[in-house]
Amino acid sequence: MGKKVFIIDVGKCNGCYCCQIVCKDEHVGNDWTPIAKPQPEVGQFWLELTERVRGTVPKVKVSYRPHLCMHCDDAPCMAACKVEGALYKRGDGLVIIDPLKCTGCKACVDLCPYGVIYFNEDLNLAQKCTGCAHLLDDGWSEPRCADACPTLALKMYDEDDPEAQALIAKAQVWMPELKDKVKPRVYYLNIPKRFIAGTLYDPVEEEVIIGAKATLKAADGSVLTTETDSYGDFWFEGIEPGVYDLELTYGGKSKSFAGLDTTEVEINLGDIPLT
Amino acid sequence: MAGDNKRPQSKPTGADKTVLKALGLSGGIFGACPCAVDVKDGKIIRIRPLHWDSEYDPKTFNPWKITKNGKTLEPLYKAVPAPWSLAYKKRAYSPNRIKYPLKRVDWDPNGAPGSVGPGGRNTQNRGKSKYVRISWDEAATIIANEIKRIHKEYGPLAILVQGDGHGECKMVHAPHGCSTLLLDKMGGFTQQVRNPDSWEGWYWGSRHIWGKGLVGMMNPADNIVNDVIQHSDMVVVWGGDPETTPWGFRGQFASRLLYFWTEVGIKQVYICPDLNYAAAIHADKWIPILPNTDAALQLAIIYIWITEDTYDKEYVATHTVGFDKIKAYVLGEEDGIPKTPKWASEKCGVPVWTIKALARDWAKKTVTIGHYFGGGMARGPYSHEPARLEVVILGMQGLGKPGVHQAQIAYTGMPKNVITGGADHMGPFANLTATPYGERLLKPHRGTPTAWGKQMIPKTMIEEAIKKGKVEFWGTGGHEEPTADQYKKYTYPIPKEEGGTEIHMMWTDTPCRVTCWNCGSDVMEAMRDPKIECIVAQHPWLENDVLSADIILPTNTTLEVNDISPCIREGDSFQSVILMNRAIEPIGESRSDYEAVCAVAEKLGMLEAVTDGFSEQELIRGTYEGMKFDTVVPWEEFKEKQYCVLPVAPDWEKYPAGLYNFWKDPEANPLPTPTGKLEFWSESLEKAFPDDEERPPIPKWIEKGITHDERISSKRAKAYPLLLMSNHGRWRTHAQCDDIPWTREALTGKVRGFDGYLYEPCWMHPSVAEPRGIKTGDIVKVYNERGAVLCGALVWERIMPGVVSVDHGARADFIIPYTLDRGGAINVIAPEGLTSRHAAGQATSGYLVEVEKVTMGQMEEWMRQYPEAFTREYDPASGLRFNAWIEEER
Repeated sequence: MGKKVFIIDVGKCNGCYCCQIVCKDEHVGNDWTPIAKPQPEVGQFWLELTERVRGTVPKVKVSYRPHLCMHCDDAPCMAACKVEGALYKRGDGLVIIDPLKCTGCKACVDLCPYGVIYFNEDLNLAQKCTGCAHLLDDGWSEPRCADACPTLALKMYDEDDPEAQALIAKAQVWMPELKDKVKPRVYYLNIPKRFIAGTLYDPVEEEVIIGAKATLKAADGSVLTTETDSYGDFWFEGIEPGVYDLELTYGGKSKSFAGLDTTEVEINLGDIPLT
Repeated sequence: MAGDNKRPQSKPTGADKTVLKALGLSGGIFGACPCAVDVKDGKIIRIRPLHWDSEYDPKTFNPWKITKNGKTLEPLYKAVPAPWSLAYKKRAYSPNRIKYPLKRVDWDPNGAPGSVGPGGRNTQNRGKSKYVRISWDEAATIIANEIKRIHKEYGPLAILVQGDGHGECKMVHAPHGCSTLLLDKMGGFTQQVRNPDSWEGWYWGSRHIWGKGLVGMMNPADNIVNDVIQHSDMVVVWGGDPETTPWGFRGQFASRLLYFWTEVGIKQVYICPDLNYAAAIHADKWIPILPNTDAALQLAIIYIWITEDTYDKEYVATHTVGFDKIKAYVLGEEDGIPKTPKWASEKCGVPVWTIKALARDWAKKTVTIGHYFGGGMARGPYSHEPARLEVVILGMQGLGKPGVHQAQIAYTGMPKNVITGGADHMGPFANLTATPYGERLLKPHRGTPTAWGKQMIPKTMIEEAIKKGKVEFWGTGGHEEPTADQYKKYTYPIPKEEGGTEIHMMWTDTPCRVTCWNCGSDVMEAMRDPKIECIVAQHPWLENDVLSADIILPTNTTLEVNDISPCIREGDSFQSVILMNRAIEPIGESRSDYEAVCAVAEKLGMLEAVTDGFSEQELIRGTYEGMKFDTVVPWEEFKEKQYCVLPVAPDWEKYPAGLYNFWKDPEANPLPTPTGKLEFWSESLEKAFPDDEERPPIPKWIEKGITHDERISSKRAKAYPLLLMSNHGRWRTHAQCDDIPWTREALTGKVRGFDGYLYEPCWMHPSVAEPRGIKTGDIVKVYNERGAVLCGALVWERIMPGVVSVDHGARADFIIPYTLDRGGAINVIAPEGLTSRHAAGQATSGYLVEVEKVTMGQMEEWMRQYPEAFTREYDPASGLRFNAWIEEER
């Protein structure tokens, strides 16, 4: 049996929250010592579904991303733990906080760069995702979150599985600047980047303009082009965060936008009159 | 997108018992969302999706397969329930469970009707007074005596049965209507006839164009799932949310279908005021539209097609009646107002150029209109108009032609199984009527689809019936009633010589009028009328309308009973039958809804009459064999494995898709209309209601009428300038599941106010919030003349300017009964007016409101004036608690 990895295809995540909620179903009120003690009824999110609204009316999309313990190979939490064997990595790669050994010092809670460790005041324990190790040990092939996922966006694989290898090659990790340092075991596919979009129209005729050329120039000089569709819409979706210049041309007329800054957000230029 | 069926099963880790439960919430006989419930030492450990291939070789299911453009859609071998189905143990263990029978402290059954003070009935205190514990024996005796007294005094029709609705999926211990097993054998009762909620526009409108339909929607709809994939270029999802509303009825299969459409290149356009959960992830184009203004956009589309000659003229000539009248109206020949894109844009908020682009794109493509019920489109004032215009639009582009359908997405049109075959969705249940168990099994469930009471009141008119003592209505609203029923005038009461009488007692099971239907405030107020001498409620949780009852019987959840659930409706990977053995013992003194009725029946000497002598096990087995599921898997094997899967019919592809036969040959395959054609102009409507300007013989734009004045052009819009839209909740099925701590933690679940209370979210755009000084997390008051509801603001771009959105169904928590609600039960302020004068549907989306920030000062003022509202036991995790309404034991 190889080591476990999570591969999450955000492009198929419909935001149902089944993953976040079945994690609670498994771990609230259930004691899985020595893997985990119960988490409190509310307030901890061993798997947390995060949401991001992208764009402005009417060019808006929502992107979801399950966020959980990365079960790092060089876990900072393990390094910080002073108690022998209280925070350990199993043979299958899952990182476990031993509820019988944890002394409640909170060092790991404060230190985790992903913010996925929680402190249970009543039990005086640090707690986090266990990868449902207690279920895997009983023969489940995947944790509760993956079992409940209706679109199969969230999966656990053996990293030796050729299918997993092929996906990992295309995938990214969360907070990539940490990748080489902590070596996370959770991979994401299809996390959206940015977009620049708008609708081109003729204000005199009150008609959309179809087939106009849209040219987007990045700061590094690379160029993308597209055409406005049957609604007069153009979308440059999946562009890297950065600053862009845009030019729209049709029938000898043109409109330009310089310095479109998508570093933090997507840009919807709205309904753009071309006169 | 192939189903990933290599994944092995989940297991009952840590459990000593596993049972199966259908945890959909559509209610009654139609199950959905099968789950495995693991139990240890009498306590539920977990609920996980059922894997259909855990006990059977999936080859025996004859799995279906749909391929297009080199991509394949296949079933999954696991069910895909909603998150609150998987969290359902929190419903069984809710701190709001009614633990024992209750009597209202100041209601004395010995008091004379109308009496107040000590020893009186004090109906004026309903909704205010607390409750005291009584025994089952005492409760059943009081109810039995009240029934006898009422029957003697007024006759059997003086008891109103509210026995309909959505709820848990249970066959034997039906969540609704069990009281009819008793009362039907004691001379009858007045039936609250359920209105086709969520189908309003189609039921009261579209039926007049294409006939009865499936509650007014396109019928037949066989195989349209495959046909849309094969032939549609584009699906326009108009109003509904196929990523949300299916949750209660089928689970999340529709989500996979929507992703598949994208994979194979089918465009998805969403027309809705909010970026609903499906639009948020699947839309190629979102066209925001002001709530309930869809008819304007539809008319403008028709205008473009007529003036640019881009519709199927031949089809219109051969398959429809009355197009000339539509044309004259649209071109402005009738009223001098051409329904141009410019005209429409002012009404609906869609830019002129976008309207034109949509109309032209549509005409070029093969387009299906998709719904999952109507969202803001089919539940508002005059909803029959956009619902009818939708059929005109489809008709103008060759409705029935490959790829041109009205699709209730995956609700119909999936590959059929060997049992249901070509029958409509009631079909296999009809087999039960041939068995000795038929009447016993089906009667309780009749309340929802059928109008069968001796005396009837539409659900939407109960408060008027009480207040005025009489109502008249056209059409009972029963789901299964023929279209022509809508032309028939009914009265309540019926003539005295037929036993007609006003109602003086109400027996309600799992009620939620205050939060799920029209004019919740008026309904609750009406229930205080002294002429209603006794209200009996049976329900698992102490909430909503139950707080107006005089006697409350604690009933239990599906997790606490033995039952069976045929999950035979389309819309999941497979259909199945689930044997639902009891998971846990009943909580407190709760009994099943059926057992509760039996307790009363016993006091009346009617137990044998109610049970017909059948045991629970006989009824469960009788269901299984009566519906012929034993032809798939014999009873003993089913009992052992606790479920079976209905194999896909080998010839499932043979059923012509939707109205294909009508499209191909309308003469040989007439529609169930008087002319056999699509009646764009309905002679029947004209004959029945010649002066009805709200639902004219052809569909129109109705700015305002005698029933409603809710447009932004209204004078009222000065005080109430925003349009409210309301949809089925993401985290509920109607009023169910509002108290699950984990769904309340979701971003759009509840919003925590500065006072720590978890408020129902109110979505608004920054352009609405900023001038009102509102930010996300603020407590806001949503109000009109009818009252006010407190919500928590969510300010973002997921909704268009000029609109606020609050979903219906939150549990009411009145600060001032019944005009100021803290729980977010938005329907408290919904219009009293029905769909229109002659259409007794509810209109609960698309009406005028204003929103204002609630300051700490205002909240403190309310706390000073109404301390009892703020000192009730409350915990944000699950909301209101049972103990809040219980008087200390004496």
